[in-house]
Amino acid sequence: MPTHAMAYTRKVTLVDYGREVENEIGTLEEIIEANSALQARYNSRWLAIKLLEEDSDIVDKVKQADGARLLSVARKSIAHLREVYGDDVDTVIADRRYGWINGLVRETVHRTAVDRQTISDRIDKVVTNRVLGIPIFIALMWVVFKFTTDVAGPYLDWVDGVIGGPLTNWVVAILGLTGLGGGWVESLFVDGIIAGVGGVLVFVPVMMSLYFALAVLEDSGYMARAAFVMDRVMHALGLHGKSFLPMIVGFGCTVPAIYATRTLANKKDRILTALLVPFMSCGARLPVYVLFASIFFPGKSGVVIFWLYMLGIITAMVLGVVLKNTLFKDKEQSPFVMELPPYRMPTLKGIWFHIWERTGAFVNKAWTLIMVTSIIIWVLLAIPVGGEGSFADTDVAGSAFAAVSGGIAPALKPLGFGDWQASGALVTGFVAKEVVVGTMAQVYGVEEAEEEAEPTTFFEDVGEIVTSFIGATGDTLKSLPLIVGINLFEGEEEGELTALMAAVEDGFEATSGGHGALAAVAFMVFVLIYTPCMVAIAAERQELGDKWTLASVFGQLALAWLMAFVIFQGGKLLGLG
Amino acid sequence: MLQRILNEFESASGGMSVNELGRRLDVERSALEGMIDYLVRKGRLQDDKAAAAAMMCSSGGCGTSCPGAHKCPFVVETPRTFSIVQNNLNLTRRKL
Repeated sequence: MPTHAMAYTRKVTLVDYGREVENEIGTLEEIIEANSALQARYNSRWLAIKLLEEDSDIVDKVKQADGARLLSVARKSIAHLREVYGDDVDTVIADRRYGWINGLVRETVHRTAVDRQTISDRIDKVVTNRVLGIPIFIALMWVVFKFTTDVAGPYLDWVDGVIGGPLTNWVVAILGLTGLGGGWVESLFVDGIIAGVGGVLVFVPVMMSLYFALAVLEDSGYMARAAFVMDRVMHALGLHGKSFLPMIVGFGCTVPAIYATRTLANKKDRILTALLVPFMSCGARLPVYVLFASIFFPGKSGVVIFWLYMLGIITAMVLGVVLKNTLFKDKEQSPFVMELPPYRMPTLKGIWFHIWERTGAFVNKAWTLIMVTSIIIWVLLAIPVGGEGSFADTDVAGSAFAAVSGGIAPALKPLGFGDWQASGALVTGFVAKEVVVGTMAQVYGVEEAEEEAEPTTFFEDVGEIVTSFIGATGDTLKSLPLIVGINLFEGEEEGELTALMAAVEDGFEATSGGHGALAAVAFMVFVLIYTPCMVAIAAERQELGDKWTLASVFGQLALAWLMAFVIFQGGKLLGLG
Repeated sequence: MLQRILNEFESASGGMSVNELGRRLDVERSALEGMIDYLVRKGRLQDDKAAAAAMMCSSGGCGTSCPGAHKCPFVVETPRTFSIVQNNLNLTRRKL
């Protein structure tokens, strides 16, 4: 016999809802049993409970069955019980029901402490351990960035070769065939769109590697543990533990991270977290780090990038503690419970979905926002200032872009990168951080675009693309052991710097007085700390209002300048770089 | 039972995992999840992740960063967290 039938037909109640509720159930049952239509259709106890729970479907059905008196008594019962318990009656009933279920489980299911521990529990004992949790988190982050840079490096060179070689040649050839070659249209395509957008698309392999690593961490369930571990640190520092959740979102993109601060109930916590989120290094900054770390720290770029990400977290925490103890003083802590999902083996399909979706969005951004910005920069680079040259036929150093950027350059001189190229890249970086590398490809690339190349046929180009792809795949496989410190490239010559990399290196060495590496670190730290992008500013304005947005933008700029200054000047004093 | 969950939320000094809450209350995790879901449905607890997702949708997600995307692809997966709805805090305190 089914359990419910046993309960109702024999008048044995499985769940005792307490004296007050049971009295009201009894009262309602009497009325139900007097109504033949209802009695024929429903179990009286079940119907009484449903009415006390204010189940709208049941209330409608009782109305149709001439149950006006029953509903009136039920309303009185509900009012009485609410007064007694000070709570909704359905909550009181659910509370008793869950209590009964829990009791039943404890009576009938006997498990030892070992049985209760799942594999996830056992892994969590180590991964979320109070002592080991943080070192494991740091070690995994190190692996992520080592993987991102070492594995993607060969493919980065391959994409760079394809864009700078065959693709550019094809565009020039097509423009030549249509009679548009050699003029400003060719310059727009080659020096504007291909240099700007292509300069960003070169980093697609790096982004794919990062998205792969993040997808593994997310799908395996580790990301939740990272948040849990960091929550403890935040809490220990007096910050709201839940602040780290938006911060983790900030590793992907600052904009949704700022919106995610709305989950914090306390206004002060919300503002403070939104002010700290931009210091989490978003994916868009990665191309800048990869470019500079590859130029100035070949072979160690993964470590450099890892420390930049760590610096972002540390800056946010230090600033958070300072602000929490000054402007945002508040002792109230709102507790919360975090669901740690069981560990899972990530599937290839799931990982590929993440990579595809995120890379697609990255490429989409390159073809929209970054292309428009590249065209604007090209126009500014094409406009001569000072009377020399004509439109699209002028030295870039005498362009409108150089004139505007040059006005800011003196402020950046103490940081080691006070030329118009670096200043201009930082200004356009306000649009989006990927634009920094796109702008550099434009401002430096323009100057060395005159290189003569041997003419090749279409099929030779395709053959070269395929051959170099196979070579890049081989190099990638060889670079995998680098993650664990085994260098299979030992004895081989270091890869040559690309034209852009060589130009950036020369530019930074010149502006820093021979301290190019220090200036590069200062530049990367500046990029890490200053405003992420204009969409982030819009999000801040929406969430925080004008006052805090202005404070945030200027505060980030001031802090970025100060940190870059300390790194460059301090490094010089200590004889580093 | 439900009240005990709210009481544990109240007395927790910071974040705590669902497993930890289950151990404190001596309740099976599966049963506890059902109870938490009930409290979320009743508006006593807030599912922060769902709330954030709803807020992000109403705010237009990433804006120009990923035009047309229903869900920002750059959002890194974070765990579900539940917290006491502030309006209900006084009610919970009164009952203690």
